[in-house]
Amino acid sequence: MTRLCDLDDLPEGGARGFEVPGLACKVIVVRRGGRVHGWRDFCPHYKGGTPMAWKRDAYLNGAGDHIACHAHGAWFDIETGACVQGPCLGKRLIRVPLTVDEAGAVRLRQREERT
Amino acid sequence: MQIIGPDSLVFGVDDVPACHEFLTAYGLDAHDYTPEKGGHFLSLDGTGLEIRRRDDPSLPPALKTGNMLRMQVLGVVDQAAMEAVAAELGKDRQVLRLADGSLRTQDDQGFELSFRVTTRRPLDLPAEKVNAPGDFGRKPNQIGVWQDMPTKPRTLSHVVLFVPDIEPAVAFYRDRLGFRITDTFTGTGPFLRPQANADHHTHFFIRTPPYMQGCEHLAFHMGGPTELMLAGSKMIKAGYESFWGPGRHKFGSNWFWYFKSPLGCNVEFDADMDTHDDDWVPREAPMGAEAAQAFLFQHRDKWAPSGGPKPGH
Repeated sequence: MTRLCDLDDLPEGGARGFEVPGLACKVIVVRRGGRVHGWRDFCPHYKGGTPMAWKRDAYLNGAGDHIACHAHGAWFDIETGACVQGPCLGKRLIRVPLTVDEAGAVRLRQREERT
Repeated sequence: MQIIGPDSLVFGVDDVPACHEFLTAYGLDAHDYTPEKGGHFLSLDGTGLEIRRRDDPSLPPALKTGNMLRMQVLGVVDQAAMEAVAAELGKDRQVLRLADGSLRTQDDQGFELSFRVTTRRPLDLPAEKVNAPGDFGRKPNQIGVWQDMPTKPRTLSHVVLFVPDIEPAVAFYRDRLGFRITDTFTGTGPFLRPQANADHHTHFFIRTPPYMQGCEHLAFHMGGPTELMLAGSKMIKAGYESFWGPGRHKFGSNWFWYFKSPLGCNVEFDADMDTHDDDWVPREAPMGAEAAQAFLFQHRDKWAPSGGPKPGH
């Protein structure tokens, strides 16, 4: 299971993007409400998907309560991945199941298929 | 109608300091800025962006879509042009005359518009010069590039809008404000040039569903392709994220490099756009990768042939 980071490296309310071998886009990890949520860095606005941060790891909106695509302003629910505002309304992010092991490492729960 | 184009675009954002960080890295100068209230971000001729908090009560109402564009401020050549706009738009809508002399109204889509006698300063700056056998643009001993040459955006170039009801939107700018259509992407929308500006476009409209209405991107003109490449490379090196480019568009011939931004839209560098007059015959092409650009590249880290590229780059 691919290790992404230590939970301690990700502050509550923070987000980071990780490159994962074999995956064409980064994996976004958001820590919120004591849980970690994993999403592909792949805005569904366009068929081919686009990465969403405006600078390295800048994935959240100003209030830090939504994942935002900074190309065209789409906002996504951090827990469900559903687009709640903007150009991909009705679509959602692709979840990447995560687990936090006993040593406090954030890992992909299963091997991601190649895309 | 002697409209020049956007003097300013006003945004109501949810992260003012992030916009300050991004826009100053992009090369605009902050004026009257505080993290609490926002401020102006200006290019060399004084055109630029006004960034305010989303809940700033001085802003016009927000679009229902959550898009952060709140108003376009269009510059016109003189007071007579202002009166012409007021007379034309006053026929079927409320046009407010504000204390600062500007006009305020809305287009048919609900985009807020302001008109003012332009405050842009004439620029006396050379364009990038190119040397070629048969035509040497630069004098002997004049060098073409150096690492820290200035890369300041010169003027606000254009704004691209997601427009739900495109036929009436185009009719408003063409028939009421006198914009010329320079070229059209079939099924997507037209490039528009106001009468007092020779640039291929100051506006481009993209047909979208209503929930997308807003600003798709905005762009500033650079002094040439070299400045554009350097400015974009500096952005990448500083950790900002490219959306599209560098490349060169077909319609307009402008070089482009788009960056994602905390304004909720892309912010583009452009350079070397075509200019036109009323003799131009508009072209039309289906929108697609082939029609959108003559060529496209992607940034990579510097390497030298002596050592070879780093693995994976």
